[in-house]
Amino acid sequence: MLSVKKDQKPFMAKFKLSYIAMLIVLVLLAISALPNLYPNKSWLHVSNAPHSETQDVPSNQALVTFLNNQGLKVEQGLDKQATINILLNEPTKSAQAQAAIKAQYPNTQVKIVEHATSPPWLQNFGLSPIKLGLDLNGGVLFVLDVDLDKAVDEQLVSAYQQAKSIIVKQKAHGLKTQQTEHGFEINALPNAVQKLTPVIDELQSRFANLAVTTTNNGNVKNAKFSYSEQGRSNFDKEVMSQTLTTLRSRIEELGITEAVTQRQGKQRIRIELPGVQDPTEAKRIIGATASLGFYQLKEVGGQTFNMQSGGTINLEPVPIFTGDHINNANIGRDDWGKPLVQLSLDGQGGDAMSAFSKANIGKPMATVYSEYSQNANGETVKKSEVINVANIAQHLSSRFSITNMKSQQAAADLALLLRAGSLTAPVTIVHEQTIGPSLGSENISNGLAALMLGMGITLAFMALWYRRLGLIANVALLLNLTSLVGLMSLLPGVVLTLPGIAGLVLTIGMAVDTNVIIFERIKEERRKGRTPYQAIQEGYKQAANTIFDANITTMITALILYGIGYGPVKGFAITLALGLITSVFTGVYVSKVLSQTLYLKLAKKAGVNAHA
Amino acid sequence: MLNTFLKGEAGTRLRFSGMLLSAILVLLSVFTLSQKGLDFGLDFTGGYLTEFTTSQGVELKELKSFITKNHNGEFELTAQGNSHYQLREAPSDSTANSNDWQSAITQNADINAEVLSSAYIGSQVGDELFEQGCLALFSAMVAVMLYLAVRFEWRLAVGSVVALVHDLLLVLGLFSLLNIEFNLTVLASLLAIIGYSLNDSIIVGDRVRELLRVKSNNALSPASIINSAIKSTLTRTLITSGTTLATVASVWLLAGAPLQGFAIALFTGIVVGTFSSICIAATLPELLGLSAKNYEEKLDVKTQALMDMP
Repeated sequence: MLSVKKDQKPFMAKFKLSYIAMLIVLVLLAISALPNLYPNKSWLHVSNAPHSETQDVPSNQALVTFLNNQGLKVEQGLDKQATINILLNEPTKSAQAQAAIKAQYPNTQVKIVEHATSPPWLQNFGLSPIKLGLDLNGGVLFVLDVDLDKAVDEQLVSAYQQAKSIIVKQKAHGLKTQQTEHGFEINALPNAVQKLTPVIDELQSRFANLAVTTTNNGNVKNAKFSYSEQGRSNFDKEVMSQTLTTLRSRIEELGITEAVTQRQGKQRIRIELPGVQDPTEAKRIIGATASLGFYQLKEVGGQTFNMQSGGTINLEPVPIFTGDHINNANIGRDDWGKPLVQLSLDGQGGDAMSAFSKANIGKPMATVYSEYSQNANGETVKKSEVINVANIAQHLSSRFSITNMKSQQAAADLALLLRAGSLTAPVTIVHEQTIGPSLGSENISNGLAALMLGMGITLAFMALWYRRLGLIANVALLLNLTSLVGLMSLLPGVVLTLPGIAGLVLTIGMAVDTNVIIFERIKEERRKGRTPYQAIQEGYKQAANTIFDANITTMITALILYGIGYGPVKGFAITLALGLITSVFTGVYVSKVLSQTLYLKLAKKAGVNAHA
Repeated sequence: MLNTFLKGEAGTRLRFSGMLLSAILVLLSVFTLSQKGLDFGLDFTGGYLTEFTTSQGVELKELKSFITKNHNGEFELTAQGNSHYQLREAPSDSTANSNDWQSAITQNADINAEVLSSAYIGSQVGDELFEQGCLALFSAMVAVMLYLAVRFEWRLAVGSVVALVHDLLLVLGLFSLLNIEFNLTVLASLLAIIGYSLNDSIIVGDRVRELLRVKSNNALSPASIINSAIKSTLTRTLITSGTTLATVASVWLLAGAPLQGFAIALFTGIVVGTFSSICIAATLPELLGLSAKNYEEKLDVKTQALMDMP
């Protein structure tokens, strides 16, 4: 081992450099961990509802008095021109306060917004505390199932009906449409073959994913329309992303700011609404499939619709325009005080409406309200109802109203849904969970208590068993926890859940393993008669292989868990995986540097006879 | 003290009798699992679950009969601790009647309940979660087996994998025997047990491999090499298991009901994992004919480079 002496100089230089790099990493992670000492506080932001005509925001003082009278003590109320920001003494009651304010001042918008409380310099770095999962924060979880099969069926039926109307419009006599098992087909008689192509072109411009196969069947030319596998997967993708967009804007309309909306698997959507306490409103809005269509009446043929007032009516199967072209919708009241929904259309819808109403003054137009619901067999069925038939009194433009709404609530919901957009595919809630805020904070304090106890036992044991080396292990362990918390705060998308805290505790227990393996090796080397410094060098070197093996296997299981699990389980997998990384970093590299420095210094001071 | 036990023949005898015990326990576990099955939680069965507390102490029986009056379907009411209850309903029940009893117990002045959390999981989702869980367990085992096959001699790898299956079976057996609810977090802990059990087995196996490679040990029998490998890793095994058990126990004691099953599974898993790393992972390769020769041949092959990879 003479080489050790010879290598001393270059080794020291290398050692210093890695020492500095390590220190930088540790300090950075420690700084990222800092904001967790300053948990976010939920504030209430009260402002005018963006779509209401009347100004209804009460004064700051009135609002504070109102909340105090409701037993919701206000800690701070700030008047910020258009919005009033309120902090309650018990921020967990924010949802309750939100509901109370909404009930008292219906034309206001109340949002619960998380405010950071960390010092400004930390916020300037863009650092924030670890995001908490629903089980720690309280809130509502929905998992929605998007019925893609139903959406495809609807799309095919719609394409079939449009094909019929295109044929009528193009006066393509001799073309016959027919529904088939997987779509529909158009048969062209010999004298009408040349009329088939423009119809197909028109249809394909409207339904891009629709595949056509044409065959000649004797004299008859046949065009089959259906979804190819590629077209179907494109369609599914479009439906899912449209559904996500719609759901996001609906949640925004509800005034929930911190929601997590993500796709889960092929046809599921996971929505987490932290802070929400009453799932009924959210459920009614999120799951709603209501859509509007405006139709021309037809005396003969057409499609038969049910009237809300009873009876049936025949309408043109293709709508003049649909709710998709509605830009904005507000509730209001007509001259008799009955609720109505005021609409304003976008350019395309406005043009369609303008052209149609100009040509049809004095003729009736029907408004059809459609909704998906589940029948007794659990199948999703579309229920369409004509909510009103009105004569077009004048040339309408892009602004008009729908009257004859059932109730104020129905009008308000319809207005919200029209603003946020409608869903093309029916959705059903397959998983719903509400966690009260008190349960959430109880989970946090329980989890932290478990962490403290587990950590305390481990630290005490290591200090007693290994004495001086144990101190190094304990420093490494504390650094490990700090780095892990820092890493979790730093990485986006990492959410701490209750099983995540369990993972944290488990990591602490297992992190000492690295040091135990090394220290046992060092003891063994010492028994073989090595000097302390050499024993440390050898101990770290010999143990590296074993530590690598042991951690890789745990990492494999953690990654699989992350890939397959959802929600809380994913949180556990994340802490486990990140914990492995930080524990190898602190347990192997940092503690090596620490023990080398310590023993090097000691060896220099006490000569060769330092004790392990 | 344990060290003296493990010396020479005594250690071998201890290992083999431990293996016999393991075999009996595995048989018992398989028996209870086949007879009683597992008590699957809401995550896998689907249904409604409501947790609530009452402000005053109410007899479970009284509460039950009160809810029965306001509930049309079937339900299962369990006490979770001091005035903390859990009510579970089958997924077929309609939401309408489940709301009836909720408003009844929250409005009744004697009970004055507060609903803490509620969950609904569709039965289809439950089935999917179960499938995914099985898939996760299976793929974790295959991935780990592949890794071990590359890193270790096959006999040591087989020993570790058998030890792993043994640990999982015993934990499942315990859950079946004691009727503890098997939910998603317990499944997660099973995966953590896979990682942990292998960790232990690998450390013993690593040492066996190392000792087998030392030329001067050629004269020794595999049994005594395994014994000395266990002896030199025993302190580490006990310390790590001890600290991990201590932390898991603190989760068990303090983290509350949601993590109880998780902590019980991990606790058992670590205990049997430590046991099996000695009695199965290290002993089985001996039965399969492990000897120093296996490593002499291997030394020349380029796998050596792989093995020494840090």
